[in-house]
Amino acid sequence: MTAYLLRRLWQMIPTLLGVIVLVFFLFNWVGGDPAYVLAGKMSNPEQIANIRAQLGIDQPYTVQLWIFIKQIVTFNFGASWSTGEAVSSIITTRMGPSMTILIPLTILETVIAIALALGIAFIRGSLTDRLIMIACTVGMSISILVYIILGQYVFAYQFGLFPVQGWGDNLWENLFHYSALPILIALAVSVAPDLRLFRTFILDEVNQDYVRTARAKGLSERRIVWVHILRNAAIPIITYVMSNLPALLIGAFLIERFFGIPGIGREVILAVERSDFPVIKAITIYVAAATMFFNLLTDLLYQAVDPRVQLT
Amino acid sequence: MLTLPSASRLTQLSTRRPNHRQPWRWPHQLVCLLALFFISTTTFCATSPADPDKVLHIPFEAADDGFDMVKNANLYSGWVSESIFETLLTYDYLARPVKLVPLTAEAMPTISNNGKTLVFHLKKGIFFTPDPVFKGKPRELIAQDYAYSIKRFLDPANRSPSLIFVNGKIVGMDQLVAAAKKSGKFDYDAPVAGLTTPDRYTLKIELTQTDYNFLYCLTYSSFGAVAREIVEGYPTQLASHPVGTGPYMLQKYTPRSKIVLVANPDYRGFIWNFHSSGTAWDNQLVKEMQGKKMPQIGKVEISIIEEEQARWLSFQNQQLDIDWLPQIATPTALDGEKLTPAMTEKGIKLFRAITPDITFSIFNFWDPIVGGYSLEKNALRRAIIMSYNIDDDIIQLRMGQAIRAEMMVPPGMAGHDPAYRSSISYNIPLANQLLDRFGYRRGADGYRTLPDGQALLLKFASTASASAKTASEIWKRGLDKIGLHAVFLVNNFADNVKAANECKLMIFGGAWQADFPDGENFLQLLYGPNALHGNNACYQSPAYDALYKKAVSLPLGPERNALYVQMNRQMEADSAWSLETTRIRNWVMQPSIIGFKKHPILNSLFQYMDIKKKTS
Repeated sequence: MTAYLLRRLWQMIPTLLGVIVLVFFLFNWVGGDPAYVLAGKMSNPEQIANIRAQLGIDQPYTVQLWIFIKQIVTFNFGASWSTGEAVSSIITTRMGPSMTILIPLTILETVIAIALALGIAFIRGSLTDRLIMIACTVGMSISILVYIILGQYVFAYQFGLFPVQGWGDNLWENLFHYSALPILIALAVSVAPDLRLFRTFILDEVNQDYVRTARAKGLSERRIVWVHILRNAAIPIITYVMSNLPALLIGAFLIERFFGIPGIGREVILAVERSDFPVIKAITIYVAAATMFFNLLTDLLYQAVDPRVQLT
Repeated sequence: MLTLPSASRLTQLSTRRPNHRQPWRWPHQLVCLLALFFISTTTFCATSPADPDKVLHIPFEAADDGFDMVKNANLYSGWVSESIFETLLTYDYLARPVKLVPLTAEAMPTISNNGKTLVFHLKKGIFFTPDPVFKGKPRELIAQDYAYSIKRFLDPANRSPSLIFVNGKIVGMDQLVAAAKKSGKFDYDAPVAGLTTPDRYTLKIELTQTDYNFLYCLTYSSFGAVAREIVEGYPTQLASHPVGTGPYMLQKYTPRSKIVLVANPDYRGFIWNFHSSGTAWDNQLVKEMQGKKMPQIGKVEISIIEEEQARWLSFQNQQLDIDWLPQIATPTALDGEKLTPAMTEKGIKLFRAITPDITFSIFNFWDPIVGGYSLEKNALRRAIIMSYNIDDDIIQLRMGQAIRAEMMVPPGMAGHDPAYRSSISYNIPLANQLLDRFGYRRGADGYRTLPDGQALLLKFASTASASAKTASEIWKRGLDKIGLHAVFLVNNFADNVKAANECKLMIFGGAWQADFPDGENFLQLLYGPNALHGNNACYQSPAYDALYKKAVSLPLGPERNALYVQMNRQMEADSAWSLETTRIRNWVMQPSIIGFKKHPILNSLFQYMDIKKKTS
């Protein structure tokens, strides 16, 4: 196991280097020159040159790339070009609100989708199954924007059940007052595809020989479903859920923007709009690193869930 | 004089946790707490009339960039900064046309030497809000603070986007800036002949040349006084740690999300005593506000809400007190220029303000297709301008909330002539005739070619926004009618700005909002020497430039304004811009809000407003 872990960690280095080079060249190629945005309405070439020198973007690409690598190694991405706020501060302060939305959302989404998928897998082909699948297809076909706009209008404005937007000062208020509607809307959007996918995973298992054997042995349906089928269907489910986890780091752009949540997703949008490279590159690198970490964690979980899996 | 601890220090004291290792002695602690409460209450009341229970909730439609105004020119940052930092002069709240009045200056400055020497005398006894860097001592505002604040704009390390306001204008400053560029360090202590403080409360500025708008520049929100100790004490946190002398101070700041201002308890205050300009709105304001001690509002909570629907629903849900009407709400909230009966029934109030701005499309005079000064190129530009239907722009793009811009100087700015009418208007037949006459013939595909037979393709720079898309569609419809083939190249904002600054775009849309209330602020955009820095058309007309030079050498007044008119005519004669609209902003407010009137230049008006408290 230790050898496996070391090998996987070692393999991360070239992958991360690839990400670094890709991000660096993509930004320099299509990212726009921030000096012109920062220079204000009436800038002259001398001002532009001064700004470029201060940002270090007048240096040769090799020097800039080396600085980028040093920043990653030291975890010091400097300050935002547009606000001067330390990138570390941006990430640490904006991560909390994003997590307040996304952690409950991920948990609820996964639990509800698994529970429903198990339920309908056993009535496959029935009218209820078909109606649920049709509802899922329709739900998936509608843009999240429609859910947000309608949700805000109906539940917040017309019924007054939630605030239209906003963010407070403490976790309790944020979680149960301001996050409730965004989580419900995101849940409505995300449960449908998860349910369809998990249903397929479970259906793959339902007709397996081991299920028939379990039934022949006289095991209860509850035990068959929750112990035997779920355990075998868990591997693709874990893969799917874990592969989505790095996305937590970049937040939920639209939800945060429409509900005025000071999360990392909103920050990413602003950074892209302003060609704020320090913020973009820090978030991109963290997401890449998190993706690799969660992939490793997924493999480790396979073994925990299914002892037949051997990591060598 | 009895000096009492400030509210902020008292808050710190009152929130300090008791030491649990010591026994809790009720009577003693209770007496102390009561005393503390009494002192804090009386302190607040003694120095500031602001009522902490009067909380104003407003939205910003875009994020701020922090509050170090030397380093950014963000509208929303400036909005907040106006409440925290104080400039030497400000504008009379109600006077229209706008009028400068002293703020921290005792009186308007003494101006001599043909407008090149300005002497300000500061009011005594104005203090910065307390901060640990002041080591517990009251820190008085002095002339040196303004001298220091002006120098900060010129420090190359600050790369100030507002440099234009002072760059090259102050005697002796260029040498200091050159030395800073060479050494990499700006010497703030070096004497500058044109920026001196003869005594603690006197600031003397000597300009390199006559600039009658310099007072307006000094009134720009970025020119509020900062204390050097604060800048040096918080070198990396200055943007989130503003310390000024103004009516409000920053209490809480969640960047890009929430800004909470509270009334500065030590603010000197003022009596609301402004004169109506004769409108019914002004008369009502005077009736409601006259004689009140200001500021009245104790707390301002600003939420950054980028999405129009969220803002509008929040306003309707009374989560917000005042906002400008988002475009999506215009059809449901407005009936012509008035609120719909449904809005009026709720007691919602509307203030319509013509914004001091213009929207326009720029032709690049260095471009081989549309640029140049020959008659055939001028005819092409003129035909393009005549193909743009401004009525469609107003209805479809601005949802009816704009007026046609007749001249480069919008209404309300010095130099605007209400009788002026543009000589170019939407006229498809005339545009076609013009193109025919100058040899732009239609090819087999129906599109015209250049007079020499080469392909004629117009390239408009655009962005991915919905409004840019609508504008492109209006352009396309018009251009198709006159047989001109156009493509709309969508690019990111930063790239467009860069290309525009380098005069590399063929045609692109722009907008300009007044920094100060004089036409020169707009007319400079076509001044020849400003090519490559501001004059994005790279339009260089000797006639226009001569008029501009003459105008800026004259004091503000009719003679100068007449030159502004001639410059507009020259711009039209050369078809330099397609001048389009001036936008209207509809401010809506809850019934409890009183005292509000949007000023053309000032943004932060909290100190002039009040909130009616509900009577039980």
